Amino acid sequence: MASALRSAILRHIRVPATQVVSANGSRLTAVRLMSSHDDHITKDEVINRVLDVVKCFPKVDPSKVTPEVHFEKDLGLDSLDTVEIVMALEEEFKLEIPDKEAVRIESCEQAIEYVYNHPMSS
Amino acid sequence: MGASSGPRRLSGMQKQVLALYRGFLRAARSKPAEERKQIESVVCSEFRKNSKQVDRKNFIYIEYLLRRGKKQLDQLKSPDTVGLSSLSVDSSRTRGSSS
Amino acid sequence: MSRNLIKEGVKKMGRLTKSERFPILEGHPIGQQHGEAAVESVGNLKKVMKLSDKDKKRKEFRIYRWNPDNPNQKPFLQSFFLDLPSCGPMVLDALQKIKGGEDSSLSYRRSCREGICGSCSMNIDGVNTVACLKPIDTDTSKPTTITPLPHMFVIKDLVVDLTNFYQQYKSIEPWLKTRKPPPDEREYRQTPEDRKKLDGLYECILCACCSTSCPSYWWNPEEFLGPAALLHAYRWISDSRDEFADERLQALAEDQRRLYRCRTIRNCTACCPKSLNPANAINKMKTRHLTERTREDLEAEPEPRFGQA
Repeated sequence: MASALRSAILRHIRVPATQVVSANGSRLTAVRLMSSHDDHITKDEVINRVLDVVKCFPKVDPSKVTPEVHFEKDLGLDSLDTVEIVMALEEEFKLEIPDKEAVRIESCEQAIEYVYNHPMSS
Repeated sequence: MGASSGPRRLSGMQKQVLALYRGFLRAARSKPAEERKQIESVVCSEFRKNSKQVDRKNFIYIEYLLRRGKKQLDQLKSPDTVGLSSLSVDSSRTRGSSS
Repeated sequence: MSRNLIKEGVKKMGRLTKSERFPILEGHPIGQQHGEAAVESVGNLKKVMKLSDKDKKRKEFRIYRWNPDNPNQKPFLQSFFLDLPSCGPMVLDALQKIKGGEDSSLSYRRSCREGICGSCSMNIDGVNTVACLKPIDTDTSKPTTITPLPHMFVIKDLVVDLTNFYQQYKSIEPWLKTRKPPPDEREYRQTPEDRKKLDGLYECILCACCSTSCPSYWWNPEEFLGPAALLHAYRWISDSRDEFADERLQALAEDQRRLYRCRTIRNCTACCPKSLNPANAINKMKTRHLTERTREDLEAEPEPRFGQA
């Protein structure tokens, strides 16, 4: 059930991934600035901004970042880096993610899902 | 099945360490920009250093570091630490950039 | 000089019967026990000093060592040998001598050296007590083992982290709580009889010997308040000037952990270096709470008790 849901989501979010990878940095920041004035954020925006945050992380090779990557397994980060990324996401989307939820965010996919489903994301 | 997205297994102690790290980064946010940068770099290098140097099975020592860290975090959280007693998180950001 | 005084004292003591020995310590069995042990050990020391064999005068102390600055070294017992005739009578004197003469890195807490500050609490030969009141066992054939208070987090050597212990003491609100200002605008008065009710309670020095000897406290150090904090809670509940006794009791008994984790094991009373009786104080609080509860419950719901099947 959960895996079916996950693959459904994966199929859904794989489409914009190609856009993001091809987009250059300046366009992404422009998107981010515009979105901060908007209360409703679309899934595409969440994806763009999450990937942007991950790409900006110093230890990450931006070319490897896709909506499916796992922080530790695919990007070679450790648990401390993951904490830093989740903290950066908190700031990007002006959220406070409780510890219990924060430990469950280990990949871009989970981050996107969490942020998208969070009512306070902006 | 779902190998790449299966939850990682963290021990209680690992969870405590990560929670402490998160706590420090959160506390740093409430400080002025310059202080925040400095706190973050100190905290980051300290955690990195210990994650490399300390034997994962040296529970006595990790427990000791955790307890020491919690005390230091309590001190850092105190607004008196940087004299921001009456400022909230958000206003401290603007204040930090202007001063 | 002082040794001669002790010798005189010992001679005098020898002529007295056991009950007459320490009239000043009447009602303080642990004090008398320590006093008797001190007399005995000094007597034994006299014999030791007559021995020509130098090794027989040397006493081995095995002391728990752990230093966070040296994290790869596991905790261990380090042996120190002291020449007893040149050492003071109490275990704290031995520690001072070791720290001063052999290893200045040995860490322990101490302050008053007369059993009033509660700093030097530790486990000596398996019993929690304060080192300043515990005479050295002068039997040189066996070592004395000194370890930190059991089941506590060690900061270094014999120094343990008492943060949680103090926090629990704070949680019982150890101060006088009243509803109106004092009648003469100056102080709350108490009759000598009411003051007497605090005897056996106010003397606690918060050395933590009792709490750290309690198995219930070992397994639930955060939820169960432990005998020391509970003894202090009872001290305020018993105070005639305090007007929040019922609220205090209610706060302790509203869950099954703070007070009721006590299983009446009585290790607390057995080891208290001040001869206090925390177990008794806890029992009195339980009794008071349970008897009052029953009455309240009956008044609150007399009908449903019989009306429901």
